[in-house]
Amino acid sequence: MAFELATFPASLLQVDPERIQQLVEAEEALASVDVNLLQPGSSVRLTHVLDAVEPRIRPDGRAAFPTEGKAGEGRTNRLDGVAVLSSVDYPGVERPLHEQESVVDMAGPGAEATPFASMRVVHLAFQAAPGYGHEAIDAPVRRVTLRTAELLAEPTLEAEPAEVERYELGPVPEDLPRVAALVQLSDLGPLYYQYFYGTPVGRAGFPKVVDPAEMLDGALASGEYHWAGMRNPTLFFQRNALVRALYREHGARLAFAGLVLMRGYEQSAEGKQTAANKAAAVAKEVRADGAIITTDAGGNSHTDVMLTCRACERAGVKTVVVLAEETDLDSTEPILTDWVVEADAIVTAGNAEDFVEAWEPERVLGGDRLTDGRDARSAGPISYRDYLGAVNQMGQLDLGAVTV
Amino acid sequence: MKAVQYLNQFFAGLGGEDAAETPPTRLDGAVGPGRGLGPVLDDVEIVATVACGDDYFGEHEGEALGRLLALIEAEKPDVVVAGPAFGSGRYGYACARVAGAAAAAGIPAVAAMHEENPGRTVAGKAYIVPTGVNVAGMREALPRLGALASALAAGREPEDGSYLARGYRRTRNVGRPGAERAVDLMLSKLQGQTRSEVATAFDRVAPPDPVPDLAEALVALVTEAGCVPQGNPDHLASVRAQAWLRYALDGEERLDSGRYECVHGGFDVALANEDPNRLVPLDVVSELLHEGRIGSLHDRFYTTTGNGTPVAVATEFGREIARELVDAGVQAVFLSGT
Repeated sequence: MAFELATFPASLLQVDPERIQQLVEAEEALASVDVNLLQPGSSVRLTHVLDAVEPRIRPDGRAAFPTEGKAGEGRTNRLDGVAVLSSVDYPGVERPLHEQESVVDMAGPGAEATPFASMRVVHLAFQAAPGYGHEAIDAPVRRVTLRTAELLAEPTLEAEPAEVERYELGPVPEDLPRVAALVQLSDLGPLYYQYFYGTPVGRAGFPKVVDPAEMLDGALASGEYHWAGMRNPTLFFQRNALVRALYREHGARLAFAGLVLMRGYEQSAEGKQTAANKAAAVAKEVRADGAIITTDAGGNSHTDVMLTCRACERAGVKTVVVLAEETDLDSTEPILTDWVVEADAIVTAGNAEDFVEAWEPERVLGGDRLTDGRDARSAGPISYRDYLGAVNQMGQLDLGAVTV
Repeated sequence: MKAVQYLNQFFAGLGGEDAAETPPTRLDGAVGPGRGLGPVLDDVEIVATVACGDDYFGEHEGEALGRLLALIEAEKPDVVVAGPAFGSGRYGYACARVAGAAAAAGIPAVAAMHEENPGRTVAGKAYIVPTGVNVAGMREALPRLGALASALAAGREPEDGSYLARGYRRTRNVGRPGAERAVDLMLSKLQGQTRSEVATAFDRVAPPDPVPDLAEALVALVTEAGCVPQGNPDHLASVRAQAWLRYALDGEERLDSGRYECVHGGFDVALANEDPNRLVPLDVVSELLHEGRIGSLHDRFYTTTGNGTPVAVATEFGREIARELVDAGVQAVFLSGT
């Protein structure tokens, strides 16, 4: 069954803070929310950003971010060029929120580090109710953010779409090379979860093949607050560059063999090897000649990716790996967290350790201090690691690391 | 703004091969190629020229570099310019070393030479502007050298491509999403042409010889898990540690959770804090000792945080810890990683 994504212009956007406030009032763990509509190129720095979501609604009344049923069927409306960004000015000292900054600049040199500066941004700055820590506010913040994205898309129900994108994998010539996408999703415990239909991915029975349209239609949501630069925010699933490229190329230069979702951060050496072997087996099941393997977050998720790469190559499936480098600025060799000799075709999402030049915004929203204590306005250079999705390891952005 | 230029004896007008033994010398203002460079500098004046004979530099490198750097620093320049040295090996080497030393001392520096000049690889953080292979390339080289030197003096980052790559990896907009680049790489690999955007050249550590008899061996505990005494008295960092630490075991047989904690910033430390032996397995090692399967245990454990640590720094930590262990007669290490 085909999936249709109807595009509506950003000019339909109307923000009614009252309605968002009402959503917050229904959440015991949240005290309040500040709602700001930011135009592209505003002199604003957003800090402590958790997630980014594109406004979506389904004309048939089904949930845009479903926790049951199947996404990626029928029609969904999207508001083009709009993002809902959520921030929390963190209470307490819990990890990872207390340590790992997440910045979006709406102008200045950092505007190129994320895609959001060219969009209309509805920024939600949440405050926790007294006594509620990070884990307690995470689910309510995500709920309100996703629901707000749905509310903001409501005007599309009464409008005519500018364009309808159609996603369907029809029959293609047998001689085209079959290419699968193996997309890693984090599950390292609370505040490090990606969600599949509302369930942490570690409990979703991965690795498994899913309809690629499900990813584009709200089946995946981010609750993963590890290093901001290496994060996969929800909007990057909704507008996934890899899945969309493979749909486009289907029948042209290749056959899209399927989307395989895998968990990152398997917790033991044995678990990692088993999961890697299973992912390779699933790639074989969909008769993939090649697998593009993407990465989520940093640290030992990179080991999962490398073991998966090796397992695929040993099973006869050629691989390309997408990941961010973590090369210190004085090093004259690229540095990766992990590497296997089979990883001979790597796409670099950029060097997380490199810095975006200093910039002083007129306004800061989300929290006045960066988690390292610097004043957010006059912080000086900020590393790509700290910009939301900047060195995205699904290959969402135009950035890469180059030798200079 | 002020520049100091480095030249060899020949370009400084001190003589040819006969003057190659000239020790470090200071000359007022611009000399030789500096007269051509001056007009293409933007708001920068060459206030002094420092020179040295090529042979002298080669034979007394350490001393010559020290004296040249002192002469340079005395001028408090905004930028140091070395050469152009074109294809000349000895001169190019000296230019690169002088520029590199200035850069290491915090003075922006640029040398100019042919891309195959052996000096190219020893300039450290200094920039190198490419030139022709011989002095005929002077006219073309000076405007490029002047533009880059002016940018450095003004505190601007030079444009990519205006100098020879130093090997550093920087994040840039490459004009096409990584996902589409991945599809291209995949199709090309499936056609038998494997390409990569990351040239991997990682060192491979050869495993050491096995310990002949563990029951006779002195064994030590080392970790990068960020395990420290409760309260982190020596302020070990949770990320990008600047130091490693050692703590006495005082005959203890396990690490009590009330006395030790984990400050590592790269994973959820709840289980580690519940039982620090999960980081440093003193409990199990003590059992092995009692069973006679390990000869004896070194009386202190070594710890740091392995999280975002530059490889060069981690390598140095390893060398320092290993030196101390070897001096203490340790024959084997339990190295617990996270």
